[in-house]
Amino acid sequence: MIGMNRRKFLVTSAVLVTGSLSLATLPAQAFSPRYEVGVTASTIKLGITLPMTGGASPGYKKIPGGMKAYFDYVNANGGVNGRKITLIVKDDAYTPTSSVQKTNELILKDKVFALIGALGTANNKAVAASVNPGRRGIPSLFVNTGYSGFANKKAYPTTFSLFPSYIMEAKIMAQYIKETYPGKKLGLLYQADDFGRDALAGFKQGGLNFDVKVPYAPLSQAVAGTSATWITKLAAGGAEVVILFGVSSATGAALGASYALKFKPQWVLGSVGADSTTIKELGVPAALLGGVQTTSFVPAPADTNDEYVKLFQEINAKYNNHAVFDNNILVGMNTAFVAVQAIAAAGKKLTRKSLIATIEKKGTTFASSGLSPLAVSTTSHAGYTGYWFGTYDTTGTLKPNGGAYTVYTTDSGAGAVVKSTYKRPAMPAQGLPTN
Amino acid sequence: MFQLLNTILIGITSGAIYSLMAIALVLVWRSTRVVNFAQAGQALLSTYIGFEVIQRFDSYWIALIVAIVAGAAVGALIDVLFMRFLFSRNTQGPIAGVAPIIATLGLLGLIRGGIGIFLGNTEASIRPPVSNVGFTISGHTLAFSPLKFLIVGAVIFLMLALSLIFQRTNIGLALRASAYAPEIARLAGVRVDGIRTLGWALAGAAGAAAGMLQTPNGDGGLSPDSLDFSLLLVFGFIAAVIGGLESLIGAVVGGLLLGLVLAFVLTYVSGSLVFIIAFMVLILVLLLRPSGLIGAKRGRRA
Amino acid sequence: MHRFQHSNFSRLLFFVLLGGLLFLAGNRVDELRVYQGATLAMYVVAISSLILLTGYSGQVSLGHGALMAIGGYSAALTRNYLSLPIWLCFVIAILTAAIAGAVLGTAAARLSGPYLAGTTLALAVGLPSIANQFGFLGGEQGLLFDVGMPPASFGSDFSPYKWYFWIAASSALIAIWWLQNILRSRFGRIWRAVRDNEVAAQLAGIHVGKAKTLAFTVSSGLAGLAGALLAMTIATVSPSAFPLTLSFALLTGAVLSGVTTLPGVMIGAVTLVATPEIADSISRRFASSENVTMNLPGLLVSTLLVLVVLLVPNGPVEQWRSVRARKSAHAAH
Repeated sequence: MIGMNRRKFLVTSAVLVTGSLSLATLPAQAFSPRYEVGVTASTIKLGITLPMTGGASPGYKKIPGGMKAYFDYVNANGGVNGRKITLIVKDDAYTPTSSVQKTNELILKDKVFALIGALGTANNKAVAASVNPGRRGIPSLFVNTGYSGFANKKAYPTTFSLFPSYIMEAKIMAQYIKETYPGKKLGLLYQADDFGRDALAGFKQGGLNFDVKVPYAPLSQAVAGTSATWITKLAAGGAEVVILFGVSSATGAALGASYALKFKPQWVLGSVGADSTTIKELGVPAALLGGVQTTSFVPAPADTNDEYVKLFQEINAKYNNHAVFDNNILVGMNTAFVAVQAIAAAGKKLTRKSLIATIEKKGTTFASSGLSPLAVSTTSHAGYTGYWFGTYDTTGTLKPNGGAYTVYTTDSGAGAVVKSTYKRPAMPAQGLPTN
Repeated sequence: MFQLLNTILIGITSGAIYSLMAIALVLVWRSTRVVNFAQAGQALLSTYIGFEVIQRFDSYWIALIVAIVAGAAVGALIDVLFMRFLFSRNTQGPIAGVAPIIATLGLLGLIRGGIGIFLGNTEASIRPPVSNVGFTISGHTLAFSPLKFLIVGAVIFLMLALSLIFQRTNIGLALRASAYAPEIARLAGVRVDGIRTLGWALAGAAGAAAGMLQTPNGDGGLSPDSLDFSLLLVFGFIAAVIGGLESLIGAVVGGLLLGLVLAFVLTYVSGSLVFIIAFMVLILVLLLRPSGLIGAKRGRRA
Repeated sequence: MHRFQHSNFSRLLFFVLLGGLLFLAGNRVDELRVYQGATLAMYVVAISSLILLTGYSGQVSLGHGALMAIGGYSAALTRNYLSLPIWLCFVIAILTAAIAGAVLGTAAARLSGPYLAGTTLALAVGLPSIANQFGFLGGEQGLLFDVGMPPASFGSDFSPYKWYFWIAASSALIAIWWLQNILRSRFGRIWRAVRDNEVAAQLAGIHVGKAKTLAFTVSSGLAGLAGALLAMTIATVSPSAFPLTLSFALLTGAVLSGVTTLPGVMIGAVTLVATPEIADSISRRFASSENVTMNLPGLLVSTLLVLVVLLVPNGPVEQWRSVRARKSAHAAH
């Protein structure tokens, strides 16, 4: 009796599997040979995966809002070559397993034309290995990570970086610290994973030695009391200048604990964890940010003298539900801007191949809010190459040191750090790229 | 030398926070034999209520009281709406051990998701009610501030108050009886259901206090995705298990032990090992004393 | 004796037929479903390992994600550093996880419900994070795990996902078939005896500790296999692939399946795979706000979980059985 039941269940199960598997045997959408997947005469579909929920989501979850707002602005002004862009946002909660699953959905079910802004190093690696957009010829534009490996065209043929790599950032920071704070005792607080290790490699290359180094494990910043132990160690080591290479929550925790322990070094924050709105949203009073320095590759989010920031703020006010304009939104809009630029340049006969070829060929001439040149070429898919340094005032507003953006540029290899002479191209009329 | 002192102080304060969470878990375990994973969600919800009160009345202290009361109400409600129903339907079989854990995990997801939907865009943070700048002795700043003092004081007060209730009053006796032998307690005229709900309410209040104290002690921010609350739950649970799950003093001892060990690991060993060492401490304690540090044998006989 | 062999044979036959059916299905559906099929098979193995542990030996584990991590990393390490054939990597994944499970199970056998829950929870949080301490584990971005391309004789249009699906589905079928057999053997009877009444089992001459440790070992081995399968589907291993939420999801799947009914395992696995997609289509149709869209999947699973525990705590399969039993008892009157 029981045996029979069991068998029946197995049969039922089998039917269930087959049923669920064959759900999608429904005829695939009539395929139009005239256009690339995800493109019609009047639309282009793009997709992004990133953490919208879970521990890694604060701050980052504002990025798609910024991207969508810019796309909406472009769409309201006639679209790109007459095509309107839609962005499909998928939450992967920062787990690579979900990133792969959601990317598969984007590609196979939603049939997007290209991926854009996928976030996370482990996530992008898993997607590249399993979904393999490279083999399928699907562009993965402007990934949201500074891992230098994604610039390698051989390993990731359709992936494009946008951020300068962590190695570049560390090399530039090393140069800046040596120039600005000679002879000071140096401390380094960094996330003990590849992100931090990339940075360590950069500092080593830049010839910067630290008197006290404090690694912290990812997630451990949320363990009660952890940040106080960092500060105790930094203080015991007598650090006068402390570089922090960590995520926003670690930055917030460190600044809070350093206030509680009356430890007042010169803080220099890596760009990843330095968004002041996110830090403030984490609960850190703006006053604690006063005098803290950081780096950025786009203009300061409060710099309304910058034509891009001014336009982006207007777009944000109109299309983004009154979200507080910050660096995450700025970066999101800038990513969307570069994408629109690339799609426009690829012309009316848009294909995945033509898009990739266009970025490789014309990428260095693209207009964008970025203050350093793009290093993309037919052999490398690297993004921006430089950073400027700025200081927060006591309201948490970032201003460039010396009043103007002084940009340092370098590469991820052995190249020297130099002051950039790059002149950013003027913004296309109304911020709508046409070439 | 000074680093050592600060490490100890850091261990004590973080231990105190784990203790609060552990106390909440112990209270529920003692009254209903349930490991309550929803505790993290309840604490989060209560803290959000506290945050709303601060927005209205601009007083942390009123908010603290309201949050504690709200926490108690939420706890009681969960027992009345879910747990009673759960226990009326399944009392035996292999699922009996897992069902409460699963039910509370589900509740945790419900509370989190609910907060995410309704308050996901609210930027919430709570400022410390008293200064969090450390005391200074002979030029050195201690990792101990009026806020930490408040936290440690609150834990000691709560532990003593609850212990007194449990030892000296009929409520305590009834709570124990309801947990260990509900049928006999019922026959003896104890209103078992009501008493169990009281246990859930007390736990909800303790969890709310933990949330309201930890939030300004951390970076102050509040978010449905907050890692702090997940870790609070994990470490609170580990602390409670170290302490033997039965005794409030055990919960506090477990919390302090865990807090101190982790502080020493963070300062002197490696930040990457802090989570695995929490596991090792737990398994070491349990191998030496399978039912926790504070003798559960005595508890079980009671 | 003769009957036993017969039923054993017919069960084997059934699994072979089921396998054939699955592979036919795999040829007829699009790539997304094939991929989901591979994920489904992985969940089937993982959930059945929990069902064995909880439903058949009465132990709780909140840390099966950690055991999966052990399996996944073992497979990736042996593949990358020793270049072993893929089937051997899977075997090693099973063995390593089983050994870890045996060690853990020895401790676990001494612990009752909540203490074991606490220990395994701490393991789930602690284990994946050590990847950052040791360089050869690849840190936060993890290691690649490439099972290689399908044999050339399968044809050029045989996609890697179909290959994943074949591997995962056959692993799952073999695992379930083997598990069914072991549950019907002496060990299965011993485990159930221990689960139902430890004292009585002891009086009957069963070494309770050994029985529990063995169950933990077998369960861990299966979890290790599931970990290797997970690593295969995402072609990498990294700490963030084995978060605490994975352990909780497996437990959810086990309860939805019904912890005492191995054949119900499909229900849990299908639910885990399908919910995000269902939530997605619901929110696309009705929701306007991003907050709703992003929180809906979690909310849906949680609601389902609470409802199942409250209404059919032993799982839908067991419930259906008992309803039928009651009906047939009724009919007899």
